[in-house]
This record gives sequence, structure tokens and C-alpha cells, in this order.
Amino acid sequence: MSTTTDLVLDEEPGATPKAPRTTSAKGAKTRSTIILHVLLMVGAITMIIPFLWMIFTSVKTNAELAANPPTFFPTEWRWENYPEALDAARFDLYFRNSFIIATGHTLITLVFGSMAGYSLARIPFRGRNIVFLAMVAMLMIPTYTKIVPQFLIVKMMPLFGGNDILGQGGSGWLDSWWALLIPGGLSATSIFLFRQFYLSLPKELEEAARIDGLGEFRIFAQIYTPLIKPAIATVGLLTFQESWNNFLWPLLVTTSENLRVIQVGLAVFQQLDATAWQYLMAGTTLATVPMVLLFIFAQKYFIQGFTNTGIK
Amino acid sequence: MIDTRHLRRPLAGIASLAAASLVLAACSSGDSDTSGSLEDVDPDEVSGEISLLTPIFEGTEGQKLLEDELLPQFYAEYPNVKVSVDYTTYGNLNEKLTTAAVSGQVPDVMLMGVGWIEGFAAKDFLADMSDLGLTQDVLLESYEPTIVEAGMYDGGVYGVPIMLDTRIGIARMDILEEAGYDAPPATWDELIEMSEALTVRNGGTLERAGFDLLSNDSRQVFETFLFSAGGALFNEDNTAPAFNEQPGIDALTLMTELINTYKVEDIGFASTDQAVHPLINGRAAMGLSHNNLWTQAEDVDPEILQHMEPFLITGEQPGMFFGGTFATRSANSSSPEAAQAFLEFLTSPDIALAANEQRGNVPALKELLETEYVESNRFVQFSLENLEYAQREGGPASWLEVRGDFAPAIESALLQQKTPEEALNDLAALVESTLARS
Repeated sequence: MSTTTDLVLDEEPGATPKAPRTTSAKGAKTRSTIILHVLLMVGAITMIIPFLWMIFTSVKTNAELAANPPTFFPTEWRWENYPEALDAARFDLYFRNSFIIATGHTLITLVFGSMAGYSLARIPFRGRNIVFLAMVAMLMIPTYTKIVPQFLIVKMMPLFGGNDILGQGGSGWLDSWWALLIPGGLSATSIFLFRQFYLSLPKELEEAARIDGLGEFRIFAQIYTPLIKPAIATVGLLTFQESWNNFLWPLLVTTSENLRVIQVGLAVFQQLDATAWQYLMAGTTLATVPMVLLFIFAQKYFIQGFTNTGIK
Repeated sequence: MIDTRHLRRPLAGIASLAAASLVLAACSSGDSDTSGSLEDVDPDEVSGEISLLTPIFEGTEGQKLLEDELLPQFYAEYPNVKVSVDYTTYGNLNEKLTTAAVSGQVPDVMLMGVGWIEGFAAKDFLADMSDLGLTQDVLLESYEPTIVEAGMYDGGVYGVPIMLDTRIGIARMDILEEAGYDAPPATWDELIEMSEALTVRNGGTLERAGFDLLSNDSRQVFETFLFSAGGALFNEDNTAPAFNEQPGIDALTLMTELINTYKVEDIGFASTDQAVHPLINGRAAMGLSHNNLWTQAEDVDPEILQHMEPFLITGEQPGMFFGGTFATRSANSSSPEAAQAFLEFLTSPDIALAANEQRGNVPALKELLETEYVESNRFVQFSLENLEYAQREGGPASWLEVRGDFAPAIESALLQQKTPEEALNDLAALVESTLARS
């Protein structure tokens, strides 16, 4: 940097910059790039090490897990941990259920969340801001405080599970797909994200569409929504991930083994007094794969989505 | 009483009890039910669909045991009863029970831990089984008094034990013998002296703990030392804390000094969620451990088992902590006879033994001491032989609310943020306010 300063001092005012300065600037830029890449690599390694540890632990033997000092790389790759872990619980069923719930939640969110977001962003109606503020306020309610009220709503669903019209006498939606799919199918976060995206689009498109005779729903579906693919990818991915990782709600509202999800299956390996680390890591690795693949395919839109909404 | 001839019932006294009318405790919604004595009931006449909520029998292995081996035996005896099973984990059992209780959808039979029963019994969710002949006196014929008492609340019997788990001292005799010791410590003073001698450091870095007390839940470690100091968690009628009296202060002082004065273990050297217990891989010479260390070692390094010797932490008296799984019945079960029949089935010797074997735990029934399983597991055998010294946690109905406050208080003393006395007095104040509230 001092070289550059010296060169500048030697120059006459208004003179064209000399070649050495350009070289020096290029060098500085290269150095900055190298430093940036080194920092990014350190960050990436920091992020990836827990995943590597998870994978390596999943193929270690019991004896190696007990080794002192502990090893990072397995000395013997015990792939049998995977089939053994899958045999420890009905993981095929759990995977299927988690996939159905996550897909269901994602579809509900994308359809109704986008409609709600569009309404709050582009349709003027009395009390719109109050509704929006209420949505934002909902973001601040911790999940655990909603568990019992939500459970009671589900249990008292009228005309379901033996309930009468007043929601009494039966079990409502408990231990059914309804309880797994409807509550949590739509979140305030997704509506907020969609609203932000719809707000960022130009009003002229809407005006042109109205002149062409399009109704509100077609403007929403054919004009604006195709322009917010990053939002769809972002909200879809976040919703899928949240549903895939959900553990407590499915556990509370179901009693049948046939409705249990992947996270419940993983709990088999982690009891209060002992943890089967190799099986837990094998199961967790398998449970992580769908999310990793989904992110790989949608990452371009996903990152774009967060950039556009200004969320970091 | 329900006919369970096929099960070698330990509760022989039940059959001879005079018929008592079954008066179910009123459920939370105000329902009540009355049925006759079960003594002369024909099993074929017992019918109904009942639900079981269980934190044990988990995973494929546990489910196979319950559904493929045990339930068919029950159905053979009670062909008109159907059981639906809801599997959960101990980590989430409280949430399951709480939401079930709030919604009124209480399972007919619930398995829960020691210290849990009082809270649910106080809220009238559980049936007092004395009404069906399972009285304290009958249970005392088969179980130690402290074990029976763990299932009782306010004079009633609300839980019957299936399995226990204990916290006992374990010594690695190969390491002790190298250092010239031929037996585990018999007193606190010996524990301190031997732990110091067995601790290995390399330039300040701890390589081997002389005594490991960090691999277990700090509350349960404190309770074990408290019991060995002759102390108790609460006063006799469970209305006030007693853990901050002198025995409690002595117990926590010993724990604090082991780490900070005698430096037999460093904070962070071991934890409850470590991949392997330090007694297995030789990172500790002695320690306080769950009885399932035996099965853990069997999986990892069976050779090491010959070097592991269980012992009681002994101060003023021998101290042993016990937790466990008890079977309870809902107070508002629509099929109380079926639920009672199933509960007695689950707590019968053969079935309890199978459940214990699956988890590597300690059967509560004294008569199981000479079974092949117990004799094949030294820690289980030792625990069962010394059940007379075992004490439990819990007592007040609000135990589940206050138990979470123990670990931070104990850790504040271990980290020297407070003296043991301050830590326990502050904890006692917290507990007192919760007791007063409830």
C-alpha cells in the first residue's frame, strides 16, 4: 500500500495514472480476493466439520467410539451401522410420513401463504395494516406457548373423531392425518415473506393487466406469482425443512405408530441414560440427505430470495 | 382379584383379600364409575379397549418384545381386552402426559418415572389401586418399603414398580490394584484419598480422573452423596426442603472439594452426553454410574467387565440412588378392570423380568434376585442385593416443577460461584416458593 502512496505523491496533478499504480491496484485486489477466499474457506470448513463428524461417527465401531484419545477419521468403516440403525425402528414408515407431512405443509403454505401475502401487499382493504401487524406479532409467540391451546383446538374439532357439533365427546383430529397436516400448514413467517416480495414488484404490471381485463385472481396467479420464484423457493424450502424437523407436535397428537415421523424414530437411539451414537448419527445422516439435496437444487433461488427481501 | 395364575404372581396376598367394592377416583371431568370386586371376575368377562403410554419397550426390539411376545400372553388370558400402545421417550413423557391430562384424553395405563406419580396423583389423574386390593401391605410382601413408598401418595397406592435404575459407585479394580489398592473405598475419607492417588495429570492436563462425578446428572449425583450423608431431600411430610441442612451441605461440599480442592476431575472432562463413559475407556479410575454401565461395557469392551467392581458410596451410611418405571392406572378409565388386569400383567415377575432384561435395568421384585439375568449382570445383582439402602428423589406433588432447579444450583457450587451452603439455601428458597404456590 505504501508503494501506491509513493507513486501518487510523485505524480503531477491531473496526470494519467502510471502503469505501476495499476499493477499495484491489481495486486491489492488479488490480495483482497485471496484473503476473502481464505476467510470463506475457513467459514466453510467450520460449517462442514460437524457434518463430517456426523458421517464419520456413523461408520465407527463401538470400540472405536470408546477409544481414548478419540479418533476423527474411522480406522474401520463399519457400514453395517446403517442397516442396523434402519432395523432399530420402522424408518421406512417414518420417512414416508415425514415426507407426506412436509410436502403437505409446503403445498398449503405456497398456495395460501402466497394468496395472503398478495392480499396484504396489493389489495387495499380496511384494516390491512392491523392484520399485517397482527401477523408480525404472531412471529413473536414462542411455539411452546401454543402447544396446549393448539392441542385443545385439535381435540375439540367438531364432528371429527366422535365429537359432536360442540366438539365434545370424542378425540377430534387427534391421532389422524388432519392433526399432522392442518396445524402448522401455514405460518406467519411465510405470509410475511410473500408480502415483502409482492410489495417489491412494480404497480404498472397490475395496471396493464387490469386494462387488459384480468381479474384479481388472474393478476395474482398469472402476472405476479411467476415473478417471485425466489420467494416460492425460499418459503418452500424453509417450510419443508421446518416440517421435516418437527418432532414434538407429531409426537403429542399421535398415538399410533403408523403416524409417527422420522424425528421420533431417531429418538429411539437417544434415551435419558444412554445414547447409541453410531446409530443416531447413521439415522441423522439419512434424515439430513433430503434437506441437503433440496437445498442444492434450490440454492440459487433460495439465496436470491433472502437477498431480495433484505433478510440476512 | 383378577386371575393371573399363569404369571406366578408375587402378589399372593391379593387373592385372599376380601372383596372390596371398586370405587374409582373421580376424574377431572367429574365422572365416576363403580364396579364390583375383581376377585371373582372371570377373565373372559373382563373386556374393553385400553391404551398404554410407555417410555419403555421403545424401538423395534422393545416393540417386538411387547407386541410379539408379551401381549399375546395377556390376550391368551384376557381375550376380550384390546391394548393400543403409544410409545414415547422419557424425554417427552412429561409433555405427553400433560397434554393428555389437560385434554382429558388420559391413557388407561401409563408408565412413568419415580417422582412423577405424586404430581399426577394430586391432580386426580391416577387411580388409587388400594381400592382393587393393591394395598401397601400387599406390595410390601414383594418389594422393599422404599420402593413401595415411591408409588404412593397421601396414603394411597398409585404406582406399581416394573423396573428400577440405580446410581452406584464403580471402581476399575485393574487401575486400583496398580496403585496398590485391593478394594473400593469404604468411607468418604477413603474415597478422597484414593481418588487423589488415582488421578493422573500430564503437565496440568488431566489424563485420568480419580473419581468421575460429571458423567451423570448432577442432581442425581448430589442426591446419592446426600443419602450417604444421612440426609433427605424433604422433611417427613414433604412440606419443606431438607437438602440444605447439614448433611446436604456436607454432600455438596464433598463434591465441590473433589473437583476444586483435591482436583480429582476437571469441569468439562466428562459430561452426560459423551459417546463413552470414562470408566470404560480408562479415563476414570472410579466414578458414580448408572447400573446400565454394565450393558454399555458389554457392547464396547466385554473384557473390561471383569475389572469393574460396584460399591456403595458410604458416609454416615451407605447411599444409593434409585429411579425407575412404575405402572399407573388412569382414574377415569372407561375399562378399569381391563386396565387393572393389564397393569398387574406388566408388573408380574416374568413380564417385568423381560422388560428389565431388554433395558439392562434392575427388577424391583426381590424374588427375581436369583434369576439368570440378574446373576449375569453384576451391577444389577449388586443393586438388587442392596436395595435396602436405596433412596429416591421426589416426594412433594410439585417435584417435577422444582427438579430442574437443582442442576444450576449444584453447578454454581462446583464452579465456585457460590459456597455449597449459599447454593443450597438459594435453591431451598426457590423450592419453598414453589411448594407454597402449589
